[in-house]
Amino acid sequence: MLANIKKVFSFVILLFTLNLCDAVEIPERFQKSNHTNNWAVLVDTSRFWFNYRHVANALSIYRSVKRLGIPDSQIILMISDDMACNPRNPRPATVFNNAHEQINVYGDDVEVDYRGYEVSVESFVRLLTGRVPPDTPRSKRLLTDEGSNILIYLTGHGGDGFLKFQDSEEITSQELADALEQMWQKRRYNEIFCIIDTCQASSMYEKFYSPNILATASSLVGEDSLSHHVDSAIGVYIIDRYTYYVLEFLENVNPSSKKTMSEFLAVCPKKVCISTVGVRRDLFKRDPSKVPITDFFGSVRRVIITTDPIDIQEVPKRRKNISLNKTKVQEKREYLPQFPMHLVKTTV
Amino acid sequence: MLNLRLLLFSVAFLSPILQIKGDDFKEEMFIKPLPPSHLYVYFQFLTLANGEESFEHSHLAPRSLGEIVSRYQVEELHLTLTEGQWKHNTWGYPVLDAAPGAELYAWFAPDVVDVDTQWKKLSSTLSGLFCASLNFIENMNTVSPKMALWPTGAYSKSHQNITSQLRYASLPREIVCTENLTPWKKLLPCESSHGFSSLLNSRMIHNTNYHSIGVHIRRMCSGSNCLDTSLEIKQTVALVYDFKILNTMDWSLRKLFGQGLPGACPLSSSSRIYVDITSNSSYPFKLLPEPNSIMFSHRGGSKTELAVYEINHSNMMNIGAKYEMRNKIFVNIPPPLTFNRYVLGYGKEFGGIVTELSNNYWAPIDVVLLENAPWWLPIQLSTLRINGEAESKLIMSQYYSPGRSRQKPYHLELLLKLPPKSTTTVTIDFEFVFLKWQEYPPDANHGFYVGSALLSANLPTAKNYTSLPITGSTFDSIVNASKPWYPIVFRTNGGMVSLPTPDFSMPYNVICLACTVVALAFGPLNNICTKEVVLKIIVVPVSLRQKIFNIFKKKKD
Amino acid sequence: MNLIPKYLVACLGRYWLIHTDYWQTISNRVEVATPLNSWKRLIEGVYLYDHGINPYEGDSFHESPIMLILFHFLLKKVPYLLPVIFVLLDALTAHILYKASKSFIRIFKESQESGKGQIAEDSITMLVTESQLDEVPIYVLSMYLFNPYSFLNCAGMTTTVIQNLLLAVSLWGAASGHRALACVFIALATHQALYPILLVVPISILLANVNQGCNKCSYIRTLLGFVLCWGFCIFISAFIMDGSYDYIYNTYGFILTVPDLKPNIGLFWYFFTEMFEHFRLLFVCAFQINALALYVVPLTLRFHKEPVLLATVLIALSTIFRSYPCVGDVGFYLALLPLWKHLFSFMQQKFIVGCAFLITSALGPTVWHLWIYSGSANANFFFGVTLSFATAQIFLITDLLFAHIKREFTLKNGSSRQVDGKPAKLVLR
Repeated sequence: MLANIKKVFSFVILLFTLNLCDAVEIPERFQKSNHTNNWAVLVDTSRFWFNYRHVANALSIYRSVKRLGIPDSQIILMISDDMACNPRNPRPATVFNNAHEQINVYGDDVEVDYRGYEVSVESFVRLLTGRVPPDTPRSKRLLTDEGSNILIYLTGHGGDGFLKFQDSEEITSQELADALEQMWQKRRYNEIFCIIDTCQASSMYEKFYSPNILATASSLVGEDSLSHHVDSAIGVYIIDRYTYYVLEFLENVNPSSKKTMSEFLAVCPKKVCISTVGVRRDLFKRDPSKVPITDFFGSVRRVIITTDPIDIQEVPKRRKNISLNKTKVQEKREYLPQFPMHLVKTTV
Repeated sequence: MLNLRLLLFSVAFLSPILQIKGDDFKEEMFIKPLPPSHLYVYFQFLTLANGEESFEHSHLAPRSLGEIVSRYQVEELHLTLTEGQWKHNTWGYPVLDAAPGAELYAWFAPDVVDVDTQWKKLSSTLSGLFCASLNFIENMNTVSPKMALWPTGAYSKSHQNITSQLRYASLPREIVCTENLTPWKKLLPCESSHGFSSLLNSRMIHNTNYHSIGVHIRRMCSGSNCLDTSLEIKQTVALVYDFKILNTMDWSLRKLFGQGLPGACPLSSSSRIYVDITSNSSYPFKLLPEPNSIMFSHRGGSKTELAVYEINHSNMMNIGAKYEMRNKIFVNIPPPLTFNRYVLGYGKEFGGIVTELSNNYWAPIDVVLLENAPWWLPIQLSTLRINGEAESKLIMSQYYSPGRSRQKPYHLELLLKLPPKSTTTVTIDFEFVFLKWQEYPPDANHGFYVGSALLSANLPTAKNYTSLPITGSTFDSIVNASKPWYPIVFRTNGGMVSLPTPDFSMPYNVICLACTVVALAFGPLNNICTKEVVLKIIVVPVSLRQKIFNIFKKKKD
Repeated sequence: MNLIPKYLVACLGRYWLIHTDYWQTISNRVEVATPLNSWKRLIEGVYLYDHGINPYEGDSFHESPIMLILFHFLLKKVPYLLPVIFVLLDALTAHILYKASKSFIRIFKESQESGKGQIAEDSITMLVTESQLDEVPIYVLSMYLFNPYSFLNCAGMTTTVIQNLLLAVSLWGAASGHRALACVFIALATHQALYPILLVVPISILLANVNQGCNKCSYIRTLLGFVLCWGFCIFISAFIMDGSYDYIYNTYGFILTVPDLKPNIGLFWYFFTEMFEHFRLLFVCAFQINALALYVVPLTLRFHKEPVLLATVLIALSTIFRSYPCVGDVGFYLALLPLWKHLFSFMQQKFIVGCAFLITSALGPTVWHLWIYSGSANANFFFGVTLSFATAQIFLITDLLFAHIKREFTLKNGSSRQVDGKPAKLVLR
């Protein structure tokens, strides 16, 4: 029964992608990718109002990947604190990337999967490795497979070899590398693109040892990542330099654009970023200059066009639910009194 | 026995089930000025689905909610996400009250045995659905109220033990923002594209004094004999606008929501806007455009006038009010029952919670007060004082379930008779708990939120009462709906305490120091027990000069 | 007798303190009241019991059901007499300690007489004289009656008052050879606070020595008596709780697993506040073994000839290392110290220990106030004070034992500290 339903579904998906392929075609000059789906894990690890910019960072990437076609169900957004509806925010339900309020990165349609105290090292590692508690809803799981390309974006306060979560705990670069290795061994990804926007960010990817990971960091070890500018109405720095330029770059990308990953990796030169953007390519098998940016930031499916006819007749009819025929003894129901009247002494 | 069953069977078989209707969707909006300075806007989106069928097919009802109901065998469910505190003293009573933060309570079907497991699963699933941290609901913050909450849906008569299937939890720390509103809107048949829900622009509604979104699911009788039930899914939004933020007393849909109403949802069977114009007599205003009709209602000694707008499917419209007089002195007449709650004490060792209940009515009012203290705020029942007395005659019934650390909260319910024209003070003391350092949240010094107490009242008058009667689901059901009692559940304001904190940077130091002290005992005791005392010749230590001299001496050798 | 004025003064002082406005403050002090023994929790437990709620269902009551039923009865019949009862119980404890110390002195005299043959020539003068010994019980009495720690403990109306009484009676019973009495009371004390189980060892040695005859039979009889009594206590408690043994999780379980981390004068609270969760069990076990089992066997082997010293040391050690200690416990073993007055001259750290006691007793409440009420200090300050208090107590006990060993050596080998004419010193080898 279930398998049948699956068949129906896969057929529907096939039809859907067939339609899609007319619109977007991947140009020949790009290397072929084996991925079948795209996921994004966007993490802001900082709490407190003065870390507004980190929330804005994560939401900037969220906005871009969502615009480029990754559905909300495949974006895991972790935000440590509420900035949009924070009482200190003079413009409720908005987070801007710019003091001129150019882009409301929070938007009107946002789904935060992990928020507040839920964002912890434990829940992050559990999410990556898939070892979540059994009751966890789908939206809080990373349901990736061996065909998944995952974009991991981490922002917050870091140091040499660690990233702080909520000012109370930290994940070390070794722990992150081990989590990724576990993902690889459990065949939970095809390729990973990891962006780290913290101080001394490149220390986080130095310990990676699993294949097919491309990583970039906003600063090298010993460097600080700097913020971009202050909004005097909000009173704090509102976005970090690296992510500001990343967002600026991504705003000009659309699902059909031919921009490559190498262009993305060069997005923030030292003279604007002030810190040096670090890249780690050795684990990644493809040439970044031949990888379309939509392999990680969008959800452009590879489509195989078949000219063979598909036998639709095979799809079996859904059986009727038997439980429907079950006769149910009907009981008379009534509305109950809304107060424990039986306990009240009636004084006449 | 057999005969009876046969009879029931035949009744079931013969009774016409032809009445199977499709789903029905209604949207309503209730606007009530709260003079002098606020405006209450309440939306309710009603989806009526055939409740007996499992949720394989639904036309308008959200399938995700339907599946939750059938999967976890939920009889009735109430979820609200609220920011801000409703001010009962000045604003009167809301249609549905909600606790600050997230609040969830549900009744499970009578045949659910392991209610706690189902409850945990339900809350986790809802946390995914509404992007809220409802997965923090665990046994340690769940109670099952014995007297305060009663199902608003139709219940079978044979079903006795209702409270054992009820679970209640509130998370006062929960923040409510667009990410909660987004999935909430997606449950509506028209989403946010048409109808009243298109007004719910997150930038405007989060700029209010109080906003609350909710989902309420119950079973309603269909048909007069109530043999069949249908599932009512009610999605609500309550907003309180502050005229000071709007900058003017004249309100209009465009001012409140940033846009006019683009017409009704095409899928709705009725779309109505009700404006409470009772306050028009003291605070005259003029509604523009003119309402379609005006309803008069006499209910429990209070008179209500409602202006009704029937909204068509297509035309854009903007409803507004223009006030005629400014700067009028306003006399606030408090509603029959008001309350206040606060935390006593200074320092971080002992404290108390005080709940003041004022009955402003001339007759006694029966209330159930549910105090729900988290496990880290252990209350002592022996310190319970009502108006300063340990044994009060006001208590008609009492239930207490003591808490256990890290397992269950303290749960106290009192059935009180509040004497007319009086204020009753309920005091209970607590002691602060010292948590383990990893149990403190990242912002430990922000303070810990204490949830609101539930106050279930049986009001003898309908003054200020805006709730719908239990048998009705739309606003026209309040017309002349006089009853002997008007039950309502209030939430008092919550509190905040700051627990004593350890030094979070000290774990290694503390472990080392404490172990050192243990070793200070172990070392000498070990020596005493295993060694014997002897006299040893004191060797005079060689002086430095002698040492140097010795070195040279050796070299000579 | 000149004792009666002492009793009167002590009783009146305590009674006055209970009836002043300070009573509430004293009975709420962390140094005086722990989650285990506080008056507040006792009242809460009895209140719940009176209202038909099982007090062990919640987390507020950790006394044994026997105490529950006792205070249920007392609070119902004579609530107004309770301060008097507490004061009288404390006075009774003092009196029994007085009697017990008299018995101890008698035993001490006997052993001193019998051991006279092995004493070195020049150490004869070191033997304790009759008149010196006769003063000791009075010192013990005064130490208990006027020790500020016991004073505050009684004024705070903690159940440690009863605990001390039970311990005193069992010691007295053992010293005077009443096996049944000793067994029953040590079992009751164990049932209340678990840690007195340590005292079974010195008590059985004492009983064997006093009663004379077959030593092994005596040990077995004492042990059997204790186990029977303890089992009976557990059974009776379950009977009171309608056959349910759940109370054990809330009494012994509470003592052993240390779930309540409210600060006290012990070592556990901050240690387990700051403990990493995955090491908690390991360290709970280590600390409880340290308090309950570690020192019994070696100390018994070393000091089996001195059961009274063994009892004192074990009481002190279990006080220092127990999970919820209070000043009442400290006051109790301090009252036993005058029994070892003849060792004081051999102790090296009297001054340091004395100063540490004074300073920590003054600093403790101060830094507590700074931390909890004025918010200008933090937990580390109070932890530091409790740490030094524990260190001072440890120094006291180890110093006492060293003093005993030195005196033993000196008695045997004379007081000269010379080997072959060269100056020498005492060392452990």
